[in-house]
Amino acid sequence: MTAAFVYEFRMQARKRSMWIANGVIVALLGLLTANLLTDALDEPSAKVAMTSGAFLVNLILPVVYGCFLADRLVRDDKLGVAPILDATPASTAGRLSGKYLGSCAAAAVPLAIIYFGFAVLYAATAGHPVALAWAAALFAVVILPAVLFVGAFALVVPLLIPAPLFRVLFVGYWFWGNSIHPTLMPTLSQSLISPIGPYPLQELFGYGGPGGDVVLAGPVDDATLNFLRPAATAATAWLSIGVLLAVAALVLSAAPALRARTTR
Amino acid sequence: MRIEISGLVKTYKGKGRALDGLDLLVPTGMFGLLGANGAGKTTLMRILAGLLRPTGGEVRIGGYDVTGRAGRQAVQRVLGYLPQDLGVYPDLSAREFLDYVGLLKGIDDRATRRRRVGELLEVVALTGDADRRLRGYSGGMRRRVGIAQALLADPRLLIVDEPTAGLDPEERIRFRTLLSQLAGERTVLLSTHIVDDVAQTCRELAVLAKGRLVFRGTVDDLTRRADRRVWSVVTAGPAPTGGTVVSALPVEGGLRYRVVASVPPAPDAEPLAPTLEDGYLALAQPGAAEDAMRP
Amino acid sequence: MRPTDLWRYEVRRAGWAALLTPPVATAALLLLALLDGGDDTDRTLLAALEMVLPLAAGVGAASLVGRDPAVELQLTVPTSYRSTLLRRLAVTLGWAALLAVLVAGILLATGGMPQERGALSGQLVWLAPTVWLGGLGFLAGAAFRSPAAAGGLVTTWWIVQQVFPGLLQGRDWSRTLYLFETTRGAVPEGWAANRLTLVATALVLAGLGWALLGRAERLLREEAE
Ligand SMILES: Nc1ncnc2c1ncn2[C@@H]1O[C@H](COP(=O)(O)OP(=O)(O)OP(=O)(O)O)[C@@H](O)[C@H]1O
Ligand SMILES: [Mg+2]
Repeated sequence: MTAAFVYEFRMQARKRSMWIANGVIVALLGLLTANLLTDALDEPSAKVAMTSGAFLVNLILPVVYGCFLADRLVRDDKLGVAPILDATPASTAGRLSGKYLGSCAAAAVPLAIIYFGFAVLYAATAGHPVALAWAAALFAVVILPAVLFVGAFALVVPLLIPAPLFRVLFVGYWFWGNSIHPTLMPTLSQSLISPIGPYPLQELFGYGGPGGDVVLAGPVDDATLNFLRPAATAATAWLSIGVLLAVAALVLSAAPALRARTTR
Repeated sequence: MRIEISGLVKTYKGKGRALDGLDLLVPTGMFGLLGANGAGKTTLMRILAGLLRPTGGEVRIGGYDVTGRAGRQAVQRVLGYLPQDLGVYPDLSAREFLDYVGLLKGIDDRATRRRRVGELLEVVALTGDADRRLRGYSGGMRRRVGIAQALLADPRLLIVDEPTAGLDPEERIRFRTLLSQLAGERTVLLSTHIVDDVAQTCRELAVLAKGRLVFRGTVDDLTRRADRRVWSVVTAGPAPTGGTVVSALPVEGGLRYRVVASVPPAPDAEPLAPTLEDGYLALAQPGAAEDAMRP
Repeated sequence: MRPTDLWRYEVRRAGWAALLTPPVATAALLLLALLDGGDDTDRTLLAALEMVLPLAAGVGAASLVGRDPAVELQLTVPTSYRSTLLRRLAVTLGWAALLAVLVAGILLATGGMPQERGALSGQLVWLAPTVWLGGLGFLAGAAFRSPAAAGGLVTTWWIVQQVFPGLLQGRDWSRTLYLFETTRGAVPEGWAANRLTLVATALVLAGLGWALLGRAERLLREEAE
């Protein structure tokens, strides 16, 4: 499993295109959000600054990240590496989890660089070193579950449908399942299984949206699927994280069977 | 078409030189290219096919300079190229794949293309499987599709990179015979690790080592490099040292070794008549390299 | 003009994966709208026209370079590989365009198209974002030679415009590059300028991609991935 982790991490981290693409995206975003960024750096509370940073990172970057991971498993089979790897003594489950964690970790590196880069910049300009601690906490509790959740789908679903179709449906889902207000149409946003983490953001970090006055999580009047939106408390925030990780594990557990089907 | 190469250098990013000042003249006809793994054969062939741009030096094929766009296009119009690892489109059948390549090669007339594809499928003995998808082809069958593809547009220059790797003996012999027959007024550049293929088809050949030319001459010249250097030793003890063991055959009283060495590897060693393979191995030995460039 | 047979093969190269993406993505959106009670089908179709079909076209265009098993052969034939890629781009965009014309036709027939758009100018609703994302995808594909990276760029650009429409619409120069000016535009009189700027810049993007594809060696060098 560790071998698979290291291999996968290296393979993914060596892809120059991944770095360039991330660089281009960051440059574009930076250009567009320059004034937002200066606002954020002026924010007096380190906690608020870091939380809104995490919110923004989680809103956009998992899309890039999901696209990158979308063909990892299929590629092994296409390149014919799979039979070689299958013949190695490591167990299928161990290798799969190594592969999963390795590629997630590698694809999350640019994301971490961006987020912690912002944290360091803020800590330095605002003189609040505590921002780094907040950033670490937010990364672990909000960004990491999203990364693991998206990673599982991005590895497994392309075994069923072509990678380009997955990318299109995935970004559509991301918009629909995270940003659409629940009263507009049935959506998963603001619910326990919204991967951008509305429950932890609101309950554990007191985040109230970009203006500070928005309810991110919990039941919404007149919305469907409210059974997925229990009252927002610290307990349901942790529950939400658990649900995301459980769904990821469930999706991954389907991978061996699906792979056997596609490579046959 | 003559290929004239002078001072050819190719450097891959972050690596040493894959080709290091190569001078070589390839005349019309069949020409063999030998060399160890990583010697630079594929790099040379890719430059000739217009796939890679040389870092330095000159390459002229039939008078065209392949480093320029116009020259490259002129050469590609008469080129048949079989890459070392030919990828195919798995969803196409062999017939469709060849038909598609024919279109890419500019055979626009459908009837001409059909006829040509049919002929070549016959030549590589794939007619029976021609309408199966390539996905289900064996490695050797894919190579045969690759061979057929290279011959499609009746090329005047044929560059084939290890074409016989993975073919069964019958197919291999059929194919190398076909290449010889094709040669005539065409230029056929054949790279291979199967020395016997060169011995059976080429009059002239070159040997590369680490991006340099270490031999250029006829098959007989190279075979003669091993004159008085091939020995037969029978022993039950350890393998003879001080030379290159070509083969070890179990016989009564131990193993019979065939050894290429400048001095007899044992007092009772018997001299043998050299083959091209012995000559090739002798090239790599000290004492042989100095005079290798002398024709 | 090359024979139609060649085009037939390029359609097959695009494969069912590429051909399936635009209709499936549109169907997914319609399904979602249906779940919601389906009371505003026109708006859904308009969204499909300006947002979903262009996205599918863009991701398709981003997947053209970098996964061709026979690239080494393609680069040695007299038909230049970049013209082959351009043919494949035309197939990808053409298919999305075909569906888009169909959807636009439905909208024009049912009166779901915004009032001020006629049968002809209504086509700019989809044409502008489709060629723009297609051009971006083609350029990114040529630059990265990795469908994953190129697709990531296209989808990110798309979602940024969805989530932060204000970012681009806030300034005059960037508003002309906003992709969803029909469905989410704030300044109606800028619509035509927006559409034409998108089409013009799309041609620039595709031209840059074309230039990048000129060097065979770059295409041959498989990325370490
Ligand atoms: N794309 C590449 N990038 C970097 N180095 C390369 C590349 N292709 C080849 N090389 C290096 O160039 C040298 C020559 O390689 P080449 O493939 O030409 O050898 P070869 O004679 O064809 O070997 P083989 O018999 O194994 O096919 C090798 O050292 C190889 O590592
Ligand atoms: Mg080689």
